Amino acid sequence: MTSSIEPITGRYIRLTVDGTPLRVYFEEAGRGRPVVCLHTAGADTRQWRFILNDEVFTSSHRFLAFDMPWHGKSLPPQGFETAEYLLTTGTYIETVLSFCNALGLEKPLLAGCSMGGRIALQLAALHPDRFAGFIAVEASDFQPAWYDIDWFHRPDAHGGEMGAALVSANIAPHAPPVERWNTQWMFMQSGPGVFRGDLSFYTKDDSLVGRLGMIDTRQTPVHIMCGEYDMTCTPEDARRTAEAIDGATLAIMKDLGHFPMSENPAAFRPYFQEALELMRHSHAELTHA
Amino acid sequence: MTPGTPHTVHRSKLDQMAERLDATPHLLRLGRLFNETVLIEIDQDEFYLTFEKGRVAEIKEGPSKKLPWRFALRAKGEALDKFWHPIPEPGFHDIFGLVKYGHGRIDGDILTLVKNLRYFKEFMALGRREESQ
Repeated sequence: MTSSIEPITGRYIRLTVDGTPLRVYFEEAGRGRPVVCLHTAGADTRQWRFILNDEVFTSSHRFLAFDMPWHGKSLPPQGFETAEYLLTTGTYIETVLSFCNALGLEKPLLAGCSMGGRIALQLAALHPDRFAGFIAVEASDFQPAWYDIDWFHRPDAHGGEMGAALVSANIAPHAPPVERWNTQWMFMQSGPGVFRGDLSFYTKDDSLVGRLGMIDTRQTPVHIMCGEYDMTCTPEDARRTAEAIDGATLAIMKDLGHFPMSENPAAFRPYFQEALELMRHSHAELTHA
Repeated sequence: MTPGTPHTVHRSKLDQMAERLDATPHLLRLGRLFNETVLIEIDQDEFYLTFEKGRVAEIKEGPSKKLPWRFALRAKGEALDKFWHPIPEPGFHDIFGLVKYGHGRIDGDILTLVKNLRYFKEFMALGRREESQ
């Protein structure tokens, strides 16, 4: 058996969001155009491990992926033990902007999956000047829950195990078993109430619907990607959203589900390559050249 | 029952899944606290599966208005046949997919299902192995 050290480095950064001090974990790999990567609800930065380990992508891009507070290796804020975690659009936006500010990132690309894709579209509408383009994976305007989010935070059951079993519905049958289970492991590890608190944002806040018309893809390109097996953000949801954004591009991805970069990296790679190409030729870059 | 009717084909599928469950140690471990009766209704045929300590102890056939059950999965036979395909098409790849896209229904104590979701979904997926061999 051979050993190797991956090129990904992990560090911590201190941020203040809405007056709350936070210790946030982030991973980084590559040199070149910065790309900030956002994970899904109930998971963490490890979902992007194959992109950050990709020699070709990292030869021209600097990828930065951070664990949202409460997730992965980012601690919850002080006083979490008596707080109910409920993510909001405002806090999520401030967290992403604070991270970019703290690292001095000038107009990075933003790639987010699921709730990360939702907030990418919110930022495309509300803060387009801060980014060069948006890759919104498994992202759409809004879907109400087809499940009860309270299932995932109960004293008599393991929310992480239930959450993992639920999200397995969104993994395509083509996923290699090892990556299917690595993807589910992150949900199994999620802290108590965290998946529920993310889903509260994802399934109850429909404020993006009325903002899609504000997105100007001539200023910042928007590329939406959706796996054909995703039943949380279905291809129909993604298509409806793309059609509501003038100039947005759309890719429906074969053999993939809701966690494409994590569940099946080989199948996702060509679609992500296409997304980066679309951002490379973006109007924003041409006008800054 | 006549051999080869949809009823007997589905009964035989459930029997086969129960046998495979007996031979799947990790599912027996995951289901060691699962002691419930589950109604699986395929087209109009009712099958009451009584699980004891993670094993299928008994399958009773309906119709019955007396047999109690904890939760029920009701689906069209055609939809379940697609669900049991080795590589199911989108929407047929998960029991919640069957529900979301209108091919089936889940009734009863859904929380008990969710607490045992991995176990039950993997039990249902045991019907896939035969075709993939």
